[in-house]
Amino acid sequence: MKTTALIEYRLGHRATFIQNEWTVWGLPSAEDKSDQNTSADLPPAGKVIVPFSWWLEHRDTAEITRRTFHSEIAVWFAGTDDVLAHAAVIEKSSVWPLIAVHFPIFTDGRGYSTAALLRERLNWQGNILAIGDVLIDQLRQMSRVGFDQFSLRADQNQTLALKQFSLYSINLQHAWRDSRSQLIQAAKHDCLEDELQAA
Amino acid sequence: MYQYDPIDQALVNERVIQFRNQVDRRINGSLPESEFRPLRLQNGLYLQRHAYMLRVAIPYGLLSSKQLLTLADIADRYDQGYGHFTTRQNIQFNWVELEQTPDILAELAKVEMHAIQTSGNCIRNITSDPFAGVAADEVVDPRPICELLRQWSTLHPEFAFLPRKFKFAINGSTEDRTVLLCHDVGIQLHKDSNGEIVADIYAGGGMGRTPILGNLVHTNLPWQKLPSYLTALLRVYNRFGRRDNLYKARIKILVKALSPEEFTRQVNIEWRQIQESDHNFTPAEWQRVAQHFTKPAYQILPSLDAAAVAAQADTSSRPAFQRWLKRNVRAHQIAGYASVVLSLKPHATQAPGDATATQMRAIANLAQAYSFGELRVTHEQNLVLADVEQSQLFALWCAAKKSNLVLPNIGLLTDIIACPGGDFCSLANAKSLPIAKAIQERFDNLDYLFDLGDLSVNISGCINSCGHHHVGNIGILGVDKDGEEWYQITLGGEQGVNAAIGKVIGPSFGALDIPTVMDDILKVYVKERQSDERFIDTYRRLGIAPFKTAAYLNQKLSTELV
Repeated sequence: MKTTALIEYRLGHRATFIQNEWTVWGLPSAEDKSDQNTSADLPPAGKVIVPFSWWLEHRDTAEITRRTFHSEIAVWFAGTDDVLAHAAVIEKSSVWPLIAVHFPIFTDGRGYSTAALLRERLNWQGNILAIGDVLIDQLRQMSRVGFDQFSLRADQNQTLALKQFSLYSINLQHAWRDSRSQLIQAAKHDCLEDELQAA
Repeated sequence: MYQYDPIDQALVNERVIQFRNQVDRRINGSLPESEFRPLRLQNGLYLQRHAYMLRVAIPYGLLSSKQLLTLADIADRYDQGYGHFTTRQNIQFNWVELEQTPDILAELAKVEMHAIQTSGNCIRNITSDPFAGVAADEVVDPRPICELLRQWSTLHPEFAFLPRKFKFAINGSTEDRTVLLCHDVGIQLHKDSNGEIVADIYAGGGMGRTPILGNLVHTNLPWQKLPSYLTALLRVYNRFGRRDNLYKARIKILVKALSPEEFTRQVNIEWRQIQESDHNFTPAEWQRVAQHFTKPAYQILPSLDAAAVAAQADTSSRPAFQRWLKRNVRAHQIAGYASVVLSLKPHATQAPGDATATQMRAIANLAQAYSFGELRVTHEQNLVLADVEQSQLFALWCAAKKSNLVLPNIGLLTDIIACPGGDFCSLANAKSLPIAKAIQERFDNLDYLFDLGDLSVNISGCINSCGHHHVGNIGILGVDKDGEEWYQITLGGEQGVNAAIGKVIGPSFGALDIPTVMDDILKVYVKERQSDERFIDTYRRLGIAPFKTAAYLNQKLSTELV
């Protein structure tokens, strides 16, 4: 499955559409919502995002080692994948150009904690791409916990999508993208006090 | 009470704009119902039997006169002239139009109110003690913590799609008026040996299909660390709570499946990693919030004894006034003041917890005149004027009487807690309100009610247990048998520090039998009680057997006669 465009929303930048270079491989078919499809076939040529569990099994094969070296292999985590159980592998795997997290359905919120843990605990600095049932009404919260790339479901309104990130001018929690507005305001206030005192 | 700063105000204003856009897209067809539903639920909008219902949050039960006047206006303009106060310190409007909900939310935002997270699989409206800040047994005023956690949980990005709904209760007194142990997370505040506020955390309590009391999972947590600890706890639940079965998705099932010890261990592993992080609250934030919960401008007044208070009434009114003093008036921290409970449980003339727009305006004016313009909503679905001068009690009683708010039945049999049931709710198996009405009609004699004394009756129209029937001394649960409405009775439930889940006495009864069955059960109590034993004490001493026998004796007779 390959969509033509992705939204990219990097820290400190505006959200924008970029050309998609990646194919997601091994996704469950529409009828089979329970599990990922980990066929033993090799992924297609080019830049491919493979299931993390498949990658674990095949990472040492010559083909995958070679393609990984050429930055052609990334991984995606399913809702059932426990990123903390694989912390050691993930922390060492800066070889992936990106990590994707799959939403089997938009109401399945496991992916939010997966992204938060990748950022907060496993210190993942690369892109995190949301794939699967990615709808415009969840973009903002995804972007706050750690996602910075989004592969929208095909039927979503692209113009409205970009507006979702600026719906709110404030935040009430500490998260990957931004901390609590109250803290930021307090910090500004402190700076102002310091300046006044210095003057 | 708390007043929004520009950050809070921006959030509710921007939420209105976001929801208005979502409603527009629903109406023009670009957003299908299946995808709109979780969005509207996270904004308190249900589709019920007859119309949309909007559930508005009253965070930790605190309400100003101005806010109540707005709720009255909304009831008149957008509903059928009334609202329903719920067991989770919310108010529901039962007859709203989808197209008008953004306008209602805009009206609410003007008075610092919203409907955010009053439903959905997210952190719901946080509930607390309706006597917070005035209760004589208070150790820590829970309101600053309630407000800090309200802000923290509002539009939390990581926990908007949990496996199931998630309810917090926060208590700061020795008594428990919050049903703390029946919540997904119960936070008991107290002070450590240095006088610092700390929290004991209970997790995995709940009612519903699998009623269970919460387990103590952490003690003496410094208040500043609540956000990091709760993040760790919710992360474990979000990642490992069941998502395959709606009925097994609450945190209580996860805690039970893992064992409380293993659940605690997993939370602690997670928490250790983030306990020193920016998730935590700072002392500056405490200052910002706590400054709003200072004591109101109390007068220095003499404390009045019972005789002096009663003497305010003329002789003809005095017996009724004294009954009200006994049941509806509570002791206060400050000399010369008292807290008053206005009963929203008139006998059979209105559904439990309902208030008309006219009553809401009258209550708002009473709060303005007698209680610093503030009031509280109780989970028992009554309203509290927390700070009334003792010398004004009779004047208040006379004024409230005109609006039918002074029935002296607080904590008595007719102070029934009930969900809206099958008359409104599309989840319900059976109606609740006609059962409440039948009981209130049957037991209308105040002398008898006073003789029975403390007795809680809770009615739920389905196993979701919104009427908290599991913790009623007498619990009534609507069940569906082949398309007919039947009612199961539980005995021995209790809220408070001795919280207990009631036991089912046996096969369910028809709606018409309920008042008689209640009467049979109560007769056992009246016959068997020793000195001033409460119903629940007699039940605990005797066990379920004599009550059960009495409940089914007459039922068998009537069946045989037929």
